[in-house]
Amino acid sequence: MTFRNPGRGDIPAGAGRTGSAAGRSGVPVRGRRTALTVAAVWGTLVCAALIAAPLALRDRLPDPLATHWKSAGPDSAMSFGAGLAPSLVVWGVAWVFLLVSAAHGEVLNRRGGRAGWWGFLVGGSVFALGVSGSILLANLDVADWRQAAMPGWAVPAVLGTAAVTGALAGYLGRGEPDRPVEPGDAPAMRLRPGQRAVWAGRATNRWLLWLSAAMLLAGAVSGAFLVLGAPVGETVWAAMLPLLPLAVIVSLISDVRVRVGPDGLRVGFGPLSWPAFRVPTGKIAWATAERRSPIEVGGWGLRGLPGTGRLAVMVRGGECLVVRRAGGGELVVSVDDADRAAALLNAYAAEEAAA
Amino acid sequence: MLLTLDLNDPRPLHDQVAGSIRRAIAEGSYAPGDRLPPARDLAGALGINVNTVLRALRELRDEGLLEFRRGRGVSVLSRPDARAALQEAARELLAEADRYGYGPEEVIHIIRELS
Repeated sequence: MTFRNPGRGDIPAGAGRTGSAAGRSGVPVRGRRTALTVAAVWGTLVCAALIAAPLALRDRLPDPLATHWKSAGPDSAMSFGAGLAPSLVVWGVAWVFLLVSAAHGEVLNRRGGRAGWWGFLVGGSVFALGVSGSILLANLDVADWRQAAMPGWAVPAVLGTAAVTGALAGYLGRGEPDRPVEPGDAPAMRLRPGQRAVWAGRATNRWLLWLSAAMLLAGAVSGAFLVLGAPVGETVWAAMLPLLPLAVIVSLISDVRVRVGPDGLRVGFGPLSWPAFRVPTGKIAWATAERRSPIEVGGWGLRGLPGTGRLAVMVRGGECLVVRRAGGGELVVSVDDADRAAALLNAYAAEEAAA
Repeated sequence: MLLTLDLNDPRPLHDQVAGSIRRAIAEGSYAPGDRLPPARDLAGALGINVNTVLRALRELRDEGLLEFRRGRGVSVLSRPDARAALQEAARELLAEADRYGYGPEEVIHIIRELS
């Protein structure tokens, strides 16, 4: 059997085995320096604003602060620090994540990744500033937190502004279009008659696995407390019960097994490789191995919009098997050694077309 | 992991599976330290019994090619030596020759001509 991989920029030759490490720090990315500089300066300014504004206005704020509203008025209050820290923490985590992903990742290599990255950077900061600012404005110059009024339009306004500025930043930062991937780029392989070739591979995400384990533990503990009688706060334990089904869902997407055989492609979820879905050979036009990041498909897990024919099984960023369906649309599955999987799928798709 | 079985190969299935994995390692597709897919996945993909795959994996472990570790599954320990790799290639050559109606003696003759 011969195995051919046409030279392409995005997947180094032999990426099959070293896929998870390849391209992570190798190729220089145009615009990475600009992105990092802007993100560092802008993120610092946002952090400074999130810290300085409440401190400067502290004399004019009640203690505790109203931090949560229902239609009738504020329904919960927190101390000065606890009330304003969440937006700083949320922004800080998102900011560090974006900085790290741009510095070490390949998110800026593709147009979708660039658009998502810039969108989250600007939209996320506007959201954090908006949440913090609206809480400050509502509490400003009131004697007691119960008098703090949050206008009904504040939440939609903050969300809307964040979405619009994020979309605008994504549009402006999207950069050059990606080089189109053509059928000629697809890796190929020659099957000899009488030969049965199969491929099995997987992708795992250790972070998601740990997250799922932690959720399972928390859910199980809360369930045990509910059954045996909780010493305190029954509502808290009951609120944690939904973690159990969530843990199962996260575990399904933390480990994905992929098989390629004469029948086509099979993608199985979770440690049991079940549930699973199949794409028969006849419905596959051609396949490639490409690098994709969670930001460009909208996050981890099963991602797609009904009707577009596009579906992504995103376990982790990096090497993905990209399958073009015969009827249009594409399926993206993160998996190690995707180059060989694509080559074998192409061989079987070609046989099917010839038959 | 890419595995190929020959439908006309008279050898027992576990020998063929072991040969296929041995070749994948010999060709450098899998380097020492790389993890193999679970035996259940390989068996499912090949459409054969999981015990057949396990038997092949155990053979390769006994040869010192694979390592079984609790919790980490099966990983590649070392490359097969030159002789084992050549044996695998020769076996395939003989199978290919058989398809064209050539026996081992004739293959040996062709090799003599080449060298």
